Formats: sequence, structure tokens, C-alpha cells
Amino acid sequence: MNSIDSHLPFLIMSALTLGSALVVVRVRNIVHAGFWLLPCFLGVAGLYALLQAHFFVVVQVLIYVGAILVLMLFALMLTQDVMNPNKPQTNRMSLPIGVFCIVFAAGVAAILTGHQWVNSNAVILPANVQTRQLGQALIGEYALPFEIASVLLLAALVGAIVLAKSEKEPAPLPLPTLAALPDSKPE
Amino acid sequence: MNLSDFLVVSSLLFMIGAYGAFTRKNAIAVILSIELMLNAANLNFLSFWRFLHPSSMEPQIFVLVGITLAAAEAAVGLAVILNIYRDFGTINVDEISLLKG
Repeated sequence: MNSIDSHLPFLIMSALTLGSALVVVRVRNIVHAGFWLLPCFLGVAGLYALLQAHFFVVVQVLIYVGAILVLMLFALMLTQDVMNPNKPQTNRMSLPIGVFCIVFAAGVAAILTGHQWVNSNAVILPANVQTRQLGQALIGEYALPFEIASVLLLAALVGAIVLAKSEKEPAPLPLPTLAALPDSKPE
Repeated sequence: MNLSDFLVVSSLLFMIGAYGAFTRKNAIAVILSIELMLNAANLNFLSFWRFLHPSSMEPQIFVLVGITLAAAEAAVGLAVILNIYRDFGTINVDEISLLKG
């Protein structure tokens, strides 16, 4: 069986991920929620490291922590004055949905642990070989999904810029008249 | 640690994200919760790859496309929310009910 022997790192990373995710969905101050996303993403990166998905540890830290989280924090800080952090931040369905989520998660967990998974015995390749294979797959066999993802990202970014741009063009600055220019007569 | 442990962690993460997406009032907090759910999906893909098919490339490609989708979703969603903030002066999803019949 190809299982992972390190229990303590798994427990630490799971606790970090799930604990900070709970803080993200429950904390009242929305900026704090944004910052609590950081340990959550880092915990997921740690779980990727335990799974020996070396490339995705780096991608997780670079893209999620470096790009998406910074984007979120920008938007949070541009709009943070509209939500009073002293009022409840959840709607009135909080309790029934919480119960539903707990029941659903317990059911899914029971099914998943009850199922007999047949682990593969194939050896996990070291990081350099794995990453080289992924790169070759992205420019070879899987070039089409890669290109579709790139075009999608480009279209989404252009659309985001168009949406976020204010509709009214700012008035152009009046050109300085000749009389207003400083006198630049040579001595 | 076996496949089911990772799957349990990822389903818990998904349900925490779903709880946040259903109950949060702030639209940006809803997007934060959706990011949690996307993370859970990626974790699921990589767990299956690691334990069931370590020699196949598809799960990693899926995760790469999924991360791209998450970035695109965050960018467009935040742009929409900034526009809503500019027009309505609020990002409370309970108060934005123009489409309510």
C-alpha cells in the first residue's frame, strides 16, 4: 500500500487549514477574514507537499497567496466601510445551513471512509522528473486545455478591467495657455 | 495517512466554504468562501492523483486549469462587486434585490 506515513504533519496541516477556514467564514471583521485566508491557503499548500505534488505547492503559494489573496485584500479595503463589523455578518439562515453542512459533511465523511480504495503501487516520481513531465504534457498532449485556460484567463482579465473601469471618463485636464506658462526667456 | 483522510479533509473544507457562501452577507466574503470550495476541489484532485493514478497526467492538468479558473473568477467577481458598490453604495447581498419579483 502506497500510504503516507507522516501522521503529525498531516494533522497539523489539516488543523491549520480547517481551523482558519472556519475563522474565515465566521469572523465578523471582513478584513480579518481576508487575512485568515492566508494560513488556510498555506495549509492547503502543506497538504499538497504531503501529497508530493511539488509543483502545486509552489503554484499554490504563488497564485493563491501571491495573487488572488492580494486581489481580495484590495477589494476588501476598497469596500470595507460599508459593513459594520459590530453587526452580525451572517443572514438568518445561518443555523439551519450550519446544521445541514455538518450533517452533509458527516455523511460524506462516513461514505468516504467506508469505501475500500485500491491504492496504486506506482512509485511517485521525484520533483524534477514530475515537473518536467508536467511541462512536456502542457506543450504536447495537453496543449489545447492549456491554451483554452490561457485565453479564458486573458478574456476574464480584460473583462474585469472593463467592468471595474468607471463609466464616466474623467474630464481632461485643461491645457495650460501660453500666458500661464512660466517665463522661460534666456538671460 | 490514506486517501480517505485527505478526502475527508477536503470535504470538510468544501462544506465550510459552502456554509460561508450560503450565510455570509458581504459579497466579498461570499467570494472568499467560493475560493475555499475551489481549494477543496483541487485538494481532491491531487489526492486521487497521488493515491490512485500517480502515473497519469490528467489530474494535474485539471488542477492547473482549476487554479486558472479560480483566478479568473476572483478577478471578474471582484470587478462586478466594485461596480455594485459604486452603484448601490452597499455590497450586502441581502439588500441588492433588484431582480426580486
